[in-house]
Order: sequence, then structure tokens, then C-alpha cells
Amino acid sequence: MKARRRVVTALDRSGGRGPAWPAPPRKARPVPGLQSPVSRPRLSGSGEAVAAPVPSVPLDLSVDLGSGLFLRNPILVASGALGYGIEAEDDLAPERIGALVTRGTTLRGRTGNPTPRMARTPSGLLNAIGLHNPGLAAVLERFAEQWARWPLPVILNLAADNVGEFAEMARRLEGVPGIAGVELNLSCPNANRGGTLFALEADSAAAVTTAVRRATDLPLLVKLSPAAPDPRAVARAVADSGADAISAVNTLPGLVLAADRSRPALGLAYGGLSGPALRPIALRVVHEIATSVRIPVVAMGGVTTLSDVLDFLAVGAQAVAVGTAAIGDPGLPARLADELEDECQARGLSSHLSLIGTAQGHRPGNPSARGAEYRP
Amino acid sequence: MSTEPVVAELVERRVILPDQRIDAFHAPAIAVSARAGQVLQVLLADDEGLVVRRAFAINTVDPSTGVVSVHVAGPARADALAHLRVGDRAPLAGPFGRPFEVDPRTTHILLIAEGAAIGRLRLLADEALREGRQVTVLLGAQSARDVYPSTLLPDEVEYVVATVDGSLGHPGSVADLVPQYEAWADQTFAAGSPALLGKLAALSASRLTRMGVAKLGRRRAAAKVDPPGSPSARRKSFLQVVVELDVACAAATCLGCVVDGHAGLLRACREGPVFAATELSLETVA
Repeated sequence: MKARRRVVTALDRSGGRGPAWPAPPRKARPVPGLQSPVSRPRLSGSGEAVAAPVPSVPLDLSVDLGSGLFLRNPILVASGALGYGIEAEDDLAPERIGALVTRGTTLRGRTGNPTPRMARTPSGLLNAIGLHNPGLAAVLERFAEQWARWPLPVILNLAADNVGEFAEMARRLEGVPGIAGVELNLSCPNANRGGTLFALEADSAAAVTTAVRRATDLPLLVKLSPAAPDPRAVARAVADSGADAISAVNTLPGLVLAADRSRPALGLAYGGLSGPALRPIALRVVHEIATSVRIPVVAMGGVTTLSDVLDFLAVGAQAVAVGTAAIGDPGLPARLADELEDECQARGLSSHLSLIGTAQGHRPGNPSARGAEYRP
Repeated sequence: MSTEPVVAELVERRVILPDQRIDAFHAPAIAVSARAGQVLQVLLADDEGLVVRRAFAINTVDPSTGVVSVHVAGPARADALAHLRVGDRAPLAGPFGRPFEVDPRTTHILLIAEGAAIGRLRLLADEALREGRQVTVLLGAQSARDVYPSTLLPDEVEYVVATVDGSLGHPGSVADLVPQYEAWADQTFAAGSPALLGKLAALSASRLTRMGVAKLGRRRAAAKVDPPGSPSARRKSFLQVVVELDVACAAATCLGCVVDGHAGLLRACREGPVFAATELSLETVA
């Protein structure tokens, strides 16, 4: 096995275990005119608003996702939400968030699915973009140099329909400045298994993870699907195959009809459901996975408020990514990071670590795959 | 590009047809910069705090009062602004997208629309009249009850209607009317279904052969290939089309609004929503 190397990004040159970043000025502004759920006053037990006490201890929100990938705080931008980041830089406030995960990128460019590609759902979004991207070489040529100058780690989301292509892409990222890690999108059809998604089967997921682990020393995140019959088995398989962290969850397939009900709303008919509508499912899967593996879990699925962030931390996530909500409100991830900082200070915490796993006391004996109605 | 919104008050609501209305907001910052063809977005947060952006065609602007109106169309169950009442305030962002470009030598403008798509062309009539141009609007609708009220158009506009059921004006498609006006027009601007835009693009492409009408643009620059989305590409074009743009991000990150162009996929929010007809594969515009 290759020796693990430390990943150095523009924000982390300390050489030590914990990064020491200067506190940048807060830039992300709330959307004017909207009642921001993240700015609700905290309530005491009696229901009265409490004033935040003056912080008495230095606050450390940093997160270690393994293989030397340290984040300044546990709030990420999820894959697909803000493209490659450059397009939304003005609103993103990159100096305030933990990391950016890019749009899904394939070895060769893809033109994506037919339009329409997006439809709104009750408290969510259905999308079938179809991995529209210019291809790995073009992405690195256009963006890598700028990412290297950015004050946040950029994690490249990779997608492919066979194991070899995943490994080939990972190999090409070795030594490329600006790439802090890779995330494998396993919600891709496996061409060698008749189109079954990699993320649905533990052995397929393990095969991809093993191949990529052999191809690169970069920090490796593996993104799992909520559609897996037993997410715990898939999570254990990728953890045993060398993943540094698990991202959970990807979208869940759904269908929306056009207004006149004459056809599906999307050009491809089916799309991936994301947004708050997905959150209870994501929370369940993160709970299952976090109680099954020892590597960090980055949670995502309908995060829009600080309360959602705290929920995902409580079920065992080490970090939380904002996806759909950041599409309409690119400044949200930075505001949530600020809110989390305020929350920790108000509680007198020196870090967010004590918020992690507080709801894991009830450990289910049976996987959810057996059904919510299952009684042993 | 920042997509920072401004808070605007809904100052007037006017139902013009079944499932169609005009909502007017007091948004001076948008009113002074908006141009025909562009859209503005209303940011809406649901009970879960999810902010979604809904795009609407800019219908009219009045820089002197700071009022900008949008054309809202569609079934009630899909009405994103239904919860707003006159006097309510909502975050607005924009204007987004590239506008129509009119050649300085153009004197006769033909606007062609189907149904509610006229909302995407309405502002161009105002702009053209202000600059001393003559404007004819050809509108196609299913029946008389779907026809955009003539009282909402300036008096100087010639307004010709075609209805599919023959209940008002020419019986049949609006495309049937185009040959009568094509020779009169210096430039044409259209909004509607892919089928209509495809027919108009075919007519436009054969215009030089049939009528011997010179291409627009300076002679020296006429042979130059303009990049997709550039103002000069649109300005030189006899036919410009505006596609529907209801985009989630407006920052060209979500790729939810792409259209098929001859040079590859184009993002309606960045390279459009107004295109020269020659830039698009119009049979696939959705």
C-alpha cells in the first residue's frame, strides 16, 4: 500500500494536524425579504428567547475527513448544487465554508439528458441533468488553477459506468493542484451489471472503491444512494475497501407530471428527488450508516436550516452538505456555517464534536431494508 | 455574477385571461435596467425554508415610477405567486438573460407569438415604438377567449389575430399570417411552441433565396461568424426567438435550462433566453 500523503490546499499550510485559519470577515448575506429559518432565535426550555453568552473558549469547528483532508468547518456544498464553484463565486463566500464538492464529472464530456431537466416538487426538486459536463481534461484545464488559489478545498465528484473509468480518472488527478479529494458518485449504472447502480450492491460498490483506492492517494469519499436495500452493507463494503469517508445520500428516483398531465414533466421522465422532501429518508440512512462504520459520514439531503444541520450531526454525521437549497440561495452554506459557530458559542462548546451522535443511543438491531413495520 | 435580490412590493394585480394575469412590482433598480426579452426571478421560500427561484417574462417597465410588471401564466395549481397579495413584499432578482437586439436601421418590426408567450415580447413593442419604429403583432390562440386583450397593447401597434377554432380573426395557425407581413418587416421576433419557432426558422432561412433581401449587418462584418449569444449575432439576424426560461439558479450552474444549438448545447440563462434563430436547432427547443 502506498504511503498516505498529506493534502495541502491554499487554506492549509500549517503542516500540523489542526489547521489555523484566520477568521475571515462574514460575507454571506441572508436573502432580503425572506424569513430566514436559520435566523430563528434559539429558545430556552420555557420557550423564551435566550441571549447568546459571550464565548469564553476558542472555537474549533475543523473536521478531519481522512488522508489529510481537513475542513475549516463541517459545512460543505454538495455535488451539483453550484457547478464547479467558479460560476457562483460571488455568492458562495468560499472563505466561510468547509469545502465545495463539484458537479459530477466524467472521463469524456457528456451533453446530458433532454430538456426539461428540472421540475419542482412539494418541498423539493426533481432533476435529470444527466451528468452534463465537459469531461475531466477540460474541467482540470479550466478550473484547477483557480481552485488551487481558492481558500477552500475542492472535492471533485467523479462518475462513470465502469470500474476502469473510475480508476482512470482518479489516476489522472494525482498531483493536480487544486484537487483536495475525490467523491465517487456510485448512483451511476454499472455497464457490466446490466445497468444496476453501483451503489445498490455492496460488491459493486466495493469493487469501484478498491480500484480507485489503488489508483490514488487523494482523500476518497464515496457517495451512496438512499435506494440501496441495505445501506449498512454497502457502507461497510466501501469502508473496508479503503474509502476515507462516506457521503450520504444521493437523490432518490421520482416522477413529476406536466401541468396538463399529458406527459412527464422531465424529458427523461424520471429524475432524482432532492430537497427537504428527501430529508427524513436521508436522516434514516445516515443514522444507519453512522452506526455501522468507523469512517466519517458527510450527510446531505434537504438541508435548509441550522436545525437540519444539527439533526444530521445528532445521528452521527461528521459534516453536512447543502445541495438543493444552495441552488436558489448560494450564500446559504456560509450562513449555516456562521449559525453553527454561533450555536456552539451560545452553548459554551469548544467544538461541534459533542453535537455528533447524540441521537444514536437507539441502535436498531435490524436494517431498514426489512421494512419499517418489521418486528423481530 | 451576483444574483443578489431586492425586496419589492406587489403594487397591482390584474387578471387578463383565465389562468393569466399581470403582476406589477415596485422595483426601481430592476425597472431602470430591464430590457425586452429578459426575465426576473421571484424568490420564494416554502415552510421548510427551501428557497426556489421562479422566473417570469418582463411585461412592461416604467423607469419613472420604478414599476416592473410580469406576465404570469399557467394553471392555478402551478401558480407560484398565488400566495402574494397586493401590498405584500417579495425578493426579486434580475433582470437576467440577454435581451433582444434591434438593428439601428430597422424601421418595421414584426412580433409573432402564440398564446401566453406574447408576454415575452410585450416589452419589445414599447421599446420599438419609443424609438420611432412601426410594430405589428401577430398572435395565435386556441380560441377568442384565449386572445391577449388588445387594450394591453399600445394604440400604435397593428394587432392581427389567428385562432385555431376560427372564433376570432384568421382561422388557423398564426404561421399562416407570416408570409403577408414578412416582406414588410425588417426584423422579426418570436415566442411560442417549438413547432411554431421551427416553421418561422424555416421561413427565415429561405428569405434570402425567395425575396433577395440582403442580410443585416455591415457589409464587411456580414461574413464574420459571431459567437453564440453575442449581441451582434442577434442584431444581424432577421429572426430572433425567445425561449422559456424558468431556471433554478440563474448563475449558469444548474444546467437545467439548456437548449440545443448548432454549436452544441446553450444555456438559456447565460447565452439566451433570446437567440438568433440561426443559432438554435429549433426543432428541439423545449
